[in-house]
Amino acid sequence: MVIAKNIVKTFKLSRQQKREMGDDFQGNTIDAVCNISFTCQPGRVFALLGPNGAGKTTALRMIATMLKPTSGSISVAEYDTVTQSQAVRENLGFLTGNTGLYDRLTPNEMVRYFADLHGMNNADYNTRRDHLFALLDMEAFANRRIGKLSTGMKQKVSIVRTIIHDPDVIVFDEPTAGLDVVTSRNIVHLIRDCRNAGKTVIFSTHRMGEVSLLSDDLAIIHKGQLQFNGTFEDFQNQMQTPTLEDEFIRIVEQA
Amino acid sequence: MKPIFTIFKKEFKDITRDRRSMMMMFIIPMLLFPLLFTIATVFTTHQTQKVRTKTLVVALIANGNAEAFRETLLKRDDLKIREDIAEDIIPQLIRSDSIDAAIRFDEQFDAQIADLQRGQIHLYFKSSRDMDASRNRLTTLIRDYENQIINDRFQRLALDRMIVDPVQVRRHDIASQRERIGKSVGGFLPYIFVLMCFMGCMYPALDLGAGEKERATLETLLVAPVSKIQILLGKCGVIVLSGFASIANSFIGFFIAIMLQREIVARILDALQGMFEISSILLVLSLCLPLTIFFAAALMSVSIFAKSFKEAQSIMAPLNIIIIIPVFIGFLPGIELNAITSLIPVLNVSLASKEIFAGTIKLPLLFEVYASLIALAALSLYGCARWFERESTIFRET
Repeated sequence: MVIAKNIVKTFKLSRQQKREMGDDFQGNTIDAVCNISFTCQPGRVFALLGPNGAGKTTALRMIATMLKPTSGSISVAEYDTVTQSQAVRENLGFLTGNTGLYDRLTPNEMVRYFADLHGMNNADYNTRRDHLFALLDMEAFANRRIGKLSTGMKQKVSIVRTIIHDPDVIVFDEPTAGLDVVTSRNIVHLIRDCRNAGKTVIFSTHRMGEVSLLSDDLAIIHKGQLQFNGTFEDFQNQMQTPTLEDEFIRIVEQA
Repeated sequence: MKPIFTIFKKEFKDITRDRRSMMMMFIIPMLLFPLLFTIATVFTTHQTQKVRTKTLVVALIANGNAEAFRETLLKRDDLKIREDIAEDIIPQLIRSDSIDAAIRFDEQFDAQIADLQRGQIHLYFKSSRDMDASRNRLTTLIRDYENQIINDRFQRLALDRMIVDPVQVRRHDIASQRERIGKSVGGFLPYIFVLMCFMGCMYPALDLGAGEKERATLETLLVAPVSKIQILLGKCGVIVLSGFASIANSFIGFFIAIMLQREIVARILDALQGMFEISSILLVLSLCLPLTIFFAAALMSVSIFAKSFKEAQSIMAPLNIIIIIPVFIGFLPGIELNAITSLIPVLNVSLASKEIFAGTIKLPLLFEVYASLIALAALSLYGCARWFERESTIFRET
């Protein structure tokens, strides 16, 4: 489970960033995430929705312990992200759409590296590795350099790298951004599988199609503030426009 | 410790598959000295041979004087004497390379010599050509001729030549050959080693910091259950290894270069063997280790701060010049290893290496160099770790 309580993330602006904000902007800081709270339950998919620059990635990075909240608290699998960050990371998988891989390693080496970092023993690793490689049909290219693989193959390596240690919580930050239809579908299947396995799944996107396909719970964030937080059913019930996309735009414009 | 080793192992594997890093770690350091020595020897030998065997075209305007000298010149196979050239066109002919040099005697030369006066010989040459060979060869001939005149005069006056040479200086150099060579070669070597060490650290640092950011692999590592200090130590370990391998390979390259140059081996092999005894090499390498750690931490700080590989490269390139400055200062006359210079990074390694190779290192100063380098390495690693902990460093684009 992931519980975020009143989280705020304030960034200090550089001189160039201040210039880019325009003459009307006063102050030296900006709140990328402003006092938001939400809960993500095991066995459910939580979608974090928002336009570019809304604060989605910042929120997810705080969940993944890469950033510390300026105030508020986040617990992941009952561990605090600030005081027990190591334990949080042991129970977390994190995948982004633009996740890079080490081109000079093979899929086998890449996955083994992350398994080692997660302290997996040989027996557990071998069982899990064989299961995932078979599931994603990866054996044929398991020993080829990653740099020579296709985008789809690389995405499979990324997926296995993310879940090799069988984490309780999996975060997907715009996982299908820039990917083709086939590869995007693999991701959608993975998210469903994770939900069915009882994992807590959080994913951020700005594609409404994916939201309707996958999400059980939904939060809309804009300019760092939460505009909606509830189940997908609640969202559909209170829609004032005919389509999900129109409703999303209406909420964002109203904010 | 295990996560550090895991990261080290992975980064090492990754780096050994990167051609550019391997070039900087092995190929360039090993080939640099043999190539430099070979090019220098081949070029110098060729030039010297060319200059030595070349037939010089020399204009002679004797004005009826110095018949003996003229005869000597005409008999020589390596000179082509031309007596048909007018005095006023000599500079023009030398400038246009039509002749190599000219010798002109004053009209009264013989008379002046006969009167025990000083006669004048004018030597025209172009020093910028053929390593100043014309002047050197003709000056030797003129000096022989002058000696002949002096001997004649002493004979004529029935004097012993010793009366004009009352003091004889006999030089007794206390410095051993190892000291002499050590002070010169020992000053040059650290220049190469420091540069190689820096270059050896630079490419892995670029790849393991800015490269990770650019490939978007850093985030995946930051979400793994390892601390940032463990990540940093694993990465810095590989950078240090690469920098250190560059130095070690430079040493190997230097030995290969010496072995390839048989002339050098024949002349100064004993001194070089004394200079490069195993204890000297280990001492110099041990000095380079903390310096390498300092370079690794400093370069990693730059690399992790940069948004891209290109930005990191543009920051690191000027650092190349900055580190050369203290090494260059080590070349300057009068700059010795003392209590103050022992504290200046890079310069202290350069000066201490010189003393070690020359066999004249003083232990208190050596310990001071070690202490300052270890402190510098520790401080730079601490600074780098603090820098790496900062969110604004890692997520600079946010």
